[in-house]
Amino acid sequence: MMSNQASQSPILDVKNIRKTYHLGRVKVPVLHGVDLNVRHKEWITILGASGSGKSTLMHIIGGLDRPDRHPENPASIIYGDRVITSMGAGALNAYRSTEVGFVFQFYHLLPELDILQNICIGSMIRYGRFGYRSHRKGVESRAMELLDRFGLSDRMKHRPAELSGGERQRVAIARALINEPALLLADEPTGNLDLKTGESILDVLAELRQSSGLTMVMVTHDERIAARADRVIRLIDGRVVEQTGVGSA
Amino acid sequence: MPILAMLAVMLSVATILITWSVMGGFLKTLVNSGRSLIGDVTVSWPNVGFAHYEELIGMLEEDEMIDGATPIIETFGLIQLPDDRIELITIKGIDPVSYDRVTNYTDTIWWKPLEEPTAKDRDGSDVRLDPQFTGAMAMFESNAVTLTRFNQDSGQTERAGVLGVEVTGLNIRTEDGIYDPRAFGFRATPDGGVERVPGFMPAGGSVGLTVLSLDSTGKPVDPVTRTIPIANEFQSGIFEIDQSTIFVPLETMQEMLRLDEARKVELVENPFATEVDPVTGKRRPKMSEVVGIDPARVTTVLVRSADGADLQEVRDRVYEIYTAFEEKHVGEVPSSFSMENQIRTWEDLNATMINAVKKETGLVLFIFGIVSFTSVFLVLAIFWSMISEKTKDIGILRALGASTTGVAWLWIRYGTAIGLIGASLGTAAGYAVVININSIHDWLGRTFNLVIWDPRTYYFIEIPSEVELDKAIIVFVVGVLTCVLGSLIPAFRSARMDPVKALRFE
Repeated sequence: MMSNQASQSPILDVKNIRKTYHLGRVKVPVLHGVDLNVRHKEWITILGASGSGKSTLMHIIGGLDRPDRHPENPASIIYGDRVITSMGAGALNAYRSTEVGFVFQFYHLLPELDILQNICIGSMIRYGRFGYRSHRKGVESRAMELLDRFGLSDRMKHRPAELSGGERQRVAIARALINEPALLLADEPTGNLDLKTGESILDVLAELRQSSGLTMVMVTHDERIAARADRVIRLIDGRVVEQTGVGSA
Repeated sequence: MPILAMLAVMLSVATILITWSVMGGFLKTLVNSGRSLIGDVTVSWPNVGFAHYEELIGMLEEDEMIDGATPIIETFGLIQLPDDRIELITIKGIDPVSYDRVTNYTDTIWWKPLEEPTAKDRDGSDVRLDPQFTGAMAMFESNAVTLTRFNQDSGQTERAGVLGVEVTGLNIRTEDGIYDPRAFGFRATPDGGVERVPGFMPAGGSVGLTVLSLDSTGKPVDPVTRTIPIANEFQSGIFEIDQSTIFVPLETMQEMLRLDEARKVELVENPFATEVDPVTGKRRPKMSEVVGIDPARVTTVLVRSADGADLQEVRDRVYEIYTAFEEKHVGEVPSSFSMENQIRTWEDLNATMINAVKKETGLVLFIFGIVSFTSVFLVLAIFWSMISEKTKDIGILRALGASTTGVAWLWIRYGTAIGLIGASLGTAAGYAVVININSIHDWLGRTFNLVIWDPRTYYFIEIPSEVELDKAIIVFVVGVLTCVLGSLIPAFRSARMDPVKALRFE
């Protein structure tokens, strides 16, 4: 499914991203100079086989990891008017907290917390221990609104272990959205779900994008899922080999 | 796992608190017992003694920092016990009335009527409780208070002494913490046989005391021996004192040591000199001329300070008073310069004993402290393991925007919370054990036949069971810090975790 609601203004401009992991003395290059451009409200999918570097690229875009330094040909990630690659640790924390929402394949919910707490924890981190007190009502109200939207309002006091895989992923999406980020980064969000549940999760994401105007970058190895995005970027061995879809560069 | 960390902190806090409280209580009890027969400050000029002591006592008692003062003579001598053993003994000549005002003398008297059994005497086997002996016990007590005993043979009341309860070896200390006096002892006779001698000293027993008297210049004159009837026995709580001390009337010691009032005479150097007897008017050999009175002397004046007075200040005040006293009797009493080191507090006098117990307490605390310090490593290991288990959660928090310091703080706060709970429980448990330590000890004895604090071995009937607030606070704070310290390195590790690796952690 292709949609043309993405604006022309870029939200993310990624240039020359290289990344090499060091396994002991062995260097394992993962990304070999990736360039990428994402527009406002666009849904792009990074498609690639396992080990192609798509998750690494997503982590770097999300400020969880940093690209290699190459002074002669430096990497850059520009988000809006901010250069992510030049940010310090504190600014990156704030970027992850307010601008980006992560959704992972294995949900990564905190097992000791109930569903409501799992969703609100992003806001606790954003506002801090004392600041959260003054925002608590608003945050919980938004969390309940999201739960209601995802059909989980009756499960808010449950623990993650008491939920099905699809329900857990919805909770993870709600957690990613609690701080109203502009950019949602989803790493194989349906990879751990059966086909039907996976479809329902994609429907949720599509609906969200429709209603909230989210920009979404999704990583997957599934061609069918990729087909729902505005644009598909195919990654092979750490290189962008193809871009297809609306407005593909 | 957090419960394990909490238990480690709780146990170490409880152990230290119990050890410190019991050892501290032991020291306190020991010191108070030692102080009970010494007073607060002593003015001492050993052996030769000093005169005009009654005037000094008067001057001392006028001062508001001083509650009272008493003269005593303290010396060493030989005691001949009922079985003819001869032992070295500390002899204290006292004036029982003023001595009791300055010390707790009457409290230490052992043979007296009791209304309630002592703490460990559950079956009430103490002879002092027996109604048929109440009258006799009252008489023994009265004899101790006056240091006298009625002699039925002569019909006279004689000066008597009070022995330390362990001196004769005829009082057997039982596991109930009381004394079971033997009815009789034995003495070897010259023909190779043995004969019975009274075992219960206050009822007809007597000892022989031998002292070496000195003249006013300190030269030995001759040994003096007297038989001293025993009025009663005392227990101070310090075994060394109770095993080697006897109280006798001050006058007796003054006489035996030639410290009593005496006339000063001028010796006639010419053996053929004569003079006229003023009574008969006839000539007679020239008599020695009385040129003055040598006043009675004592070796020590004990001073009791007013309640709440600082001991060192009282000591300094006593020295000032002595200086004024010496100015009135220059040349007759030891100079204030010489007395500088002879006016001492009870703490100075017992410094060896007090320091020994303090060092012992410190050593035990040090050892337990080291043992308890292992809880730091235990907490460290537990937190390390917990952080390993929560690696993925740490990655999630980082992905949600948590800072490295925020993650570290999370663990440090967790460590602090566990420390607070563990230390609170440990303090409560330690407090509960200390205040019930005697009941617990008794239960162990009854159930497992395990007796650690045997009254036959330890002089205090009961284990000290007082928790001091400042000690409890220190132990509590150290307990919390232990946990915080143990969580620091794991917290630092969690903060340094690569969030990507943490998220991929399986």
